[in-house]
Amino acid sequence: MTDFIKQNKLFTFYTALVILLVIIAIFAPQLAPQDPYEGDMRNVLQPPSDEHIFGTDKLGRDTFSRIICGTQVSLFMTICVVILLAVVGGVVGILSGYFGGKVEMILMRIADMMLAFPGVVLAIAIAGILGGSIVNTILALLAVGWAKYARLVRSLVIKLRYNDFIIAAQVNGTKTINILWRHVLPNILPMIVITGAMDIGTMMMEIAGLSFLGFGAQAPTPEWGLMLNEGRQYIQTAPLLMIYPGLAIFIVVAIFNLWGDALRDLLDPRHD
Amino acid sequence: MFKIKKLFKRLTFGLCGIATAGLLLTGCGGDSAGGGNADSTVLKVGVTNFADTLEPTQNYFGWVVMRYGLGECLTKFDEKMNIVPWLAESWSTSEDHLTWTFKIRDGVKFSNGDPLTAEAVKSSIERAFQKNARAATFFEYESITADGQNLIIKTKKPLPGMPGYLADPLFIIVDTAAESGRDFSKEGPICTGPYTVESFVKEKAVMKKNPNYYAEVPYETVEIPSIDDPNTRAMALQAGDVDIAVNIAAGDIDIFKGNDKFLVDEIPSLRVVLARMNQNPDRILADPKVRAAFISGCDRETYNNVLLKGTFIPGKAPVPPSLDYGFDKLTDPNAYNPERAKTLLAEAGWADSNGDGILDKDGKNLELDFVVYNSRAELPLYAEAVQADLKKLGFDIKINTVDYNLIDNMGIKGEYDLLISNITTANTGDPEIFLTWYWKTNVDGNNPQNGSGYSNPEYDAKLEELNSEFDAEKRKQLIIDLQQILLNDAASIFFGYPQTNIISSKRVDGVKMYPSDYYWITNLIKPAK
Repeated sequence: MTDFIKQNKLFTFYTALVILLVIIAIFAPQLAPQDPYEGDMRNVLQPPSDEHIFGTDKLGRDTFSRIICGTQVSLFMTICVVILLAVVGGVVGILSGYFGGKVEMILMRIADMMLAFPGVVLAIAIAGILGGSIVNTILALLAVGWAKYARLVRSLVIKLRYNDFIIAAQVNGTKTINILWRHVLPNILPMIVITGAMDIGTMMMEIAGLSFLGFGAQAPTPEWGLMLNEGRQYIQTAPLLMIYPGLAIFIVVAIFNLWGDALRDLLDPRHD
Repeated sequence: MFKIKKLFKRLTFGLCGIATAGLLLTGCGGDSAGGGNADSTVLKVGVTNFADTLEPTQNYFGWVVMRYGLGECLTKFDEKMNIVPWLAESWSTSEDHLTWTFKIRDGVKFSNGDPLTAEAVKSSIERAFQKNARAATFFEYESITADGQNLIIKTKKPLPGMPGYLADPLFIIVDTAAESGRDFSKEGPICTGPYTVESFVKEKAVMKKNPNYYAEVPYETVEIPSIDDPNTRAMALQAGDVDIAVNIAAGDIDIFKGNDKFLVDEIPSLRVVLARMNQNPDRILADPKVRAAFISGCDRETYNNVLLKGTFIPGKAPVPPSLDYGFDKLTDPNAYNPERAKTLLAEAGWADSNGDGILDKDGKNLELDFVVYNSRAELPLYAEAVQADLKKLGFDIKINTVDYNLIDNMGIKGEYDLLISNITTANTGDPEIFLTWYWKTNVDGNNPQNGSGYSNPEYDAKLEELNSEFDAEKRKQLIIDLQQILLNDAASIFFGYPQTNIISSKRVDGVKMYPSDYYWITNLIKPAK
């Protein structure tokens, strides 16, 4: 353990930060000094003070508490999206890579179709049609992003498909489902995890972007993108309302990106 | 080869664009807020625009035609909402009040040089009736005849509001004779205003001086970009991109008030921000006790005085206090009182049986769909404040933000529990039309704006009376009574009454906001000396 830490100082550091973020997210309601939904409307747009260390927003709610609780919302949405992407993309990729033929053709043409659209624009369109809500944002990003994973997994599976150990398993009469589960999946999992980890930052930005445009989380949810949009009205009179959520997004996305890079270096040393 | 050429062309265009942008930026950089626009023959006005075309009879697009200094009506409202002559010099009504005679001003020409005759006015008004069903909700005529410069309108019943009706931008006078050679909806109509259309798209209009105008026109060109976001509009004005901007939001107005480079003209408007309450039988708000509880639970004083920094007057009645219709005499049975709201909800049978903080009844949560649009900054703020306040009482309010263009239709079809809008209460000079459109009983779509299902026979009877009452004192009393009925029935919630503002750079002179917001660009706006 200590050896591992010594050899991978950066990775350990970033992992610690990520764990810290997850702890903040899980215990956000306990950590937030005040209720993020309830404010005193007689004290709106206050500058930072002892009582409200980040000041108050347009409805007199404590900005610091809202930022803390925003960690939970943002992280929860992002992790949902990334896991769903990996699962849906992984299943489609494995099926089309392993079986080939018509299954592959149909699934991959659909994937090509999705890849042909500019991602964010399509996500905006889908979220716009479904109506703004947290679930719909997740669905929209899933619809846009799964094709990339499917493509990646498919190519990995094709590489594995005719390896001796798989042929051997087939000859031995192993059920297909077991081959996929025991032999194929473990071999491609590291790549999926790396891709997923590196996507966390991007997805977080896209979720915040959709919320900023009004297609994601809806008021009064304390979501960073939404808070940015709410602060926009006061950009000249109370610019801190935009700076805090902006900083929060910046810090969290940076941590996840660095962590993703470090994880890739660790799991996939061949990558330069 | 072809493709490469095209690509090259695009690249060149792109580079030119960047170069120009750079030049512009450096050009303005030295003197921000002072004036990027030194050319005194060009006026630039930052506005909000909802019109897709400049056809005055389409939807409410006539408003834009008038605001842009293009179209004029027979009559207009002055700064005290008195009806004053415009294209009509004077008017009179017969003894039995069934015949109105409008004398059309001599020597007025359309922008194409055609003279303005009573005949032209007649065919323009007939055109409005033909093209837009809303015309008939103002008045119905028996005949319109032209006699020299006199326009004679005969009606079936006495209509005291006639001069005010004809001030509505729906009745902008256009040259119908010019329509054969011109597509009004694409190229803009031929009217009598100080400016004519050079080009128009929803995002930007360019107007030119009307050479045939009957008075002096100070600018050669007026550029009118639509900047729908209020904060962006404020910044455009600060940066000197525009000389004038309308309706700057509460959050930004202080920046201009404290700056001697700008002039702020802020007046109480004739508008009200209200939320229609859908009381059709299958809706939660059909129960008057729930409506009363809803209104009692909203702290409107705080919303207007604190959240909106006093740029709005706290709401109570349908008609704002800027119009003299007994605002102080009206009593609001549902003034802010959260304790009363709780009692009312309990009486109506709502209780929190599963302990989730939301009241419920017969297994159904007290969940309301609150429809909001964003182009006016105060609307989402009201909605969120209400959401926060009523959550304490156990309401679960879902805010549904939609595009402005969908609002009208949603209101007609009744696809909401609450629908917020900012409405003018006196588009014809008094609140008669406003009180009719939104609350008169709607039978099979004969009063389409009332999609809320509100119906009270006593209210309808008083409206009928008001419609043909000539005596000003009696009209006033009727309007007061009508408002009191709406308040007693908790028919809608009236959040507040906006101030309206127009802010101009000191480079221009004569910019004025009128209570009736039809008149933004006039020939009185000129370069400062």
